[in-house]
Amino acid sequence: MAVLRNLLYLLVYPGILFLFVYSTFCEWYDRKVFARLQNRMGPTHTGKFGLLQPIADFFKLMAKEDIVPEAADKGLFNALPAVGLAVVSTAALLLPVWNFDLGQPGWTSFSGDIIVMLYLLSLPTLILFLAAWSSTSLFSTIGGARVLTMLFGYEVPLFLSVLSPALLADSWRLAEIAAFYQKRPILLLANVLGFLVALVAVQAKLERTPFDIPDAETEIVGGTFTEYSGKKLALFRLTFDIETVVASGLLAAVFLGGFPGGAIVGFLHFVVKTLFVIFLLSCIRAMSSRIRVDQVIALSWKVLAPLALVQLLVSILLKGLLS
Amino acid sequence: MSFEIPIGPQHPALKEPISLRMTVDGEVITGVDIRLGYNHRGVEKLAEQKTWIQNIYLTERICGICSHSHATCYVQAVEKLMELLPPRRGLYIRYLVSELERVHSHLLWLGVAGHEAGFDSFFMYTWRDREIVMDLLEMISGNRVHYAINTIGGVRRDIDEGQKAKILEGVATLRKRSEYYFAIGANEPSFVARIAGVGMLSKEQAVSLCAVGPVARASGVARDVRKEDPYAVYDELDFELCTADSCDVLGRVVVRVKELLESYKMIEQMVRNLPDGDIAVKAPRKAKPGEAVSRYEAPRGENIHYVKSSGADKPERLKVRAPTLGNYPATIEMLKKGFIADIPLIFAAIDPCICCAERAVTLVDAANGAESIVRMSELRRRALARAKNAPVKGNAVWPF
Amino acid sequence: MRIAAFLPELLRHLFKKPATVDYPFQKLEVPQGFRGTPYLNPEMCIVCKSCERDCPAEAIEISDVNPAEKRFKMVIHNDRCIHCAQCVDSCPTSPKAMQMDSLFEIATDDRHNLKKEWVYVRAVLKPKAPAAAPAAPAAPAAEPKA
Repeated sequence: MAVLRNLLYLLVYPGILFLFVYSTFCEWYDRKVFARLQNRMGPTHTGKFGLLQPIADFFKLMAKEDIVPEAADKGLFNALPAVGLAVVSTAALLLPVWNFDLGQPGWTSFSGDIIVMLYLLSLPTLILFLAAWSSTSLFSTIGGARVLTMLFGYEVPLFLSVLSPALLADSWRLAEIAAFYQKRPILLLANVLGFLVALVAVQAKLERTPFDIPDAETEIVGGTFTEYSGKKLALFRLTFDIETVVASGLLAAVFLGGFPGGAIVGFLHFVVKTLFVIFLLSCIRAMSSRIRVDQVIALSWKVLAPLALVQLLVSILLKGLLS
Repeated sequence: MSFEIPIGPQHPALKEPISLRMTVDGEVITGVDIRLGYNHRGVEKLAEQKTWIQNIYLTERICGICSHSHATCYVQAVEKLMELLPPRRGLYIRYLVSELERVHSHLLWLGVAGHEAGFDSFFMYTWRDREIVMDLLEMISGNRVHYAINTIGGVRRDIDEGQKAKILEGVATLRKRSEYYFAIGANEPSFVARIAGVGMLSKEQAVSLCAVGPVARASGVARDVRKEDPYAVYDELDFELCTADSCDVLGRVVVRVKELLESYKMIEQMVRNLPDGDIAVKAPRKAKPGEAVSRYEAPRGENIHYVKSSGADKPERLKVRAPTLGNYPATIEMLKKGFIADIPLIFAAIDPCICCAERAVTLVDAANGAESIVRMSELRRRALARAKNAPVKGNAVWPF
Repeated sequence: MRIAAFLPELLRHLFKKPATVDYPFQKLEVPQGFRGTPYLNPEMCIVCKSCERDCPAEAIEISDVNPAEKRFKMVIHNDRCIHCAQCVDSCPTSPKAMQMDSLFEIATDDRHNLKKEWVYVRAVLKPKAPAAAPAAPAAPAAEPKA
């Protein structure tokens, strides 16, 4: 029975099926907001309000011809999309939505899960690099190099800014961090700076404008995805959708007070807060142009990293003050 | 790590086929090679088989964006040849459409520049507002792209009071919007970071490489046919020549937005001072033997048409020098030492109209450099032979 | 330079009606004088063939059907037509025998469907001035042979 429950847990809720539905909904929402900001319609005709458009796109891609370049490392090339999807889905399980109960931590909520989550979110970037490298196309290679270059820029500010609220809450467990801030909501204001830094860093991690440098279509065609087509491209797109949900969920858990109120109310909190974070990400996407990879590094180390350090300092000082 | 990346003949940044081969060292470009000739259409040869009237519509189709430029340039040359003097009202309407076309072309370019820099919102907004001028053009001429307003000896359609009012209203809206885009283009940090200091072309280089149009003006070269050699109505209009001294892509944006504002000024002047009278004079079907050259400031730079007549109802020779062709040598210079990320922006900044510039193809043997002339049937045979040797690809299999 | 310079404009449009027109479901009016598809008004055609001569795309074709009855056939190849309306300008009759309608959704999956044909008897127009009466019908009759 327990096995069956765990299986349902992995496959249906909050596993792959729920993530598929919710992440495609988030993609629809992102596209719609992006379109409305630009005075356009966005997806309109597939399903009610175009809600089914991302799902239709997914199945369309699944049905397309799947081409593997002859010079590519076939094993790596074929395996990476599935590995990427598995990694982000695993990261989704660690969100404190489905394991809100502090007294009985499930096997996905443990001390240090915030660190595991951050590492699981770093893995897709490495997978992207490997995918680009194994497809041996010129454009992919440049895209892969850009992925890694960017990683060295935004990763440190992201870690610093996400971990400083944890420092203040004195816990490495997401559910406990959220519970700490639910008790003292006023302390959330101390982390606003960190939230902004983390927002920009997450935008870079998700490779959205202004950081869509590795797959800048007007420069290097599809970048990392140039050689990918059909099913594998569909899986990569789904990976990015789920990563968006997980990253915005992480920001909501750490900076916006988590998801209090049990299974139903907590889930509502989750939906509202992730959609709010995605809305902010969409705004950043709409209001800026793509910058160069050297400018990303300059921005990360000259602006984001110092700001994250300031946030860390604030957290440490505040912690001393409180205790 | 140095390697060569092919931008084109098919590439998302290029709307038309051209091949830019970049030798790059990491992200930095070290060598540039431009190869033309992917879209040669034989327009000049075809023009020799069509009558003077038919050629207006043929030259109009040299370019999709500056269609009126080519048609007007051709008509100017033919009128010179036939010694026709179009009535003043006709001329005013012709150059009114000219300036409206410049507005639509520059707004289009602003959007494309935004898109190449990944600034899609800017692209969507400029193109939304471009619809206003497209609708005005459709109202005046009956079509959105190929206005076909020119005829030899004047224009084909008159404009009435209602249309005048609509033009003035549309231009007032557009002026407000253009000023706003000017502010955005100069203030949005991520966009400025992408275009400032990119694609440098010094004034000396611009002169020695014969850059034309906004590219030359952005390098501080005050060169504009409308000012230097005012044709038709331009000596009666009050406008300024727009230049910038920053010599980079930002300068080219600034020059184009300033030109938009000048164009609005000219449109208002022309609509308000529209003379009365006929719109066209009757043109003869044949031209006297002779030749004529006409210059025209297209949105992309100076456009030159050369027409030669042998006294028949068809031209003996038509030669077109599209402005983009004049900017290729400067482009190579601009691309050098740039980043890969700058390629689409620098190339888009000359507002390339590649098919316009495809005038001739020479077949050169790669081994010994010998040039040869090959018949169409022979080319076809070679293409088929090559396709036969290509590897056969299996059919796609439905996965479900 | 201003951070988020574009944001106020973007947010202002968030709840506004999109500028897009939902095209196949919602259609815009074309302006008066729109150059749509050319068609022939056979009662007016005097078969001077100036439209055929001036058409830059060679889309108009006029041929004899029965010379004795002065019966002619005009074919407009809409697949070649470039919608420049030069045929309308060239048409000498008044009202014009060649006209443009405002149809623009003429796409089809077979180019032969775009061909339009008229078989008609040549019109003999009443001359405006009585003095020119013998000249008017003679001139167009001479031209097709040339």
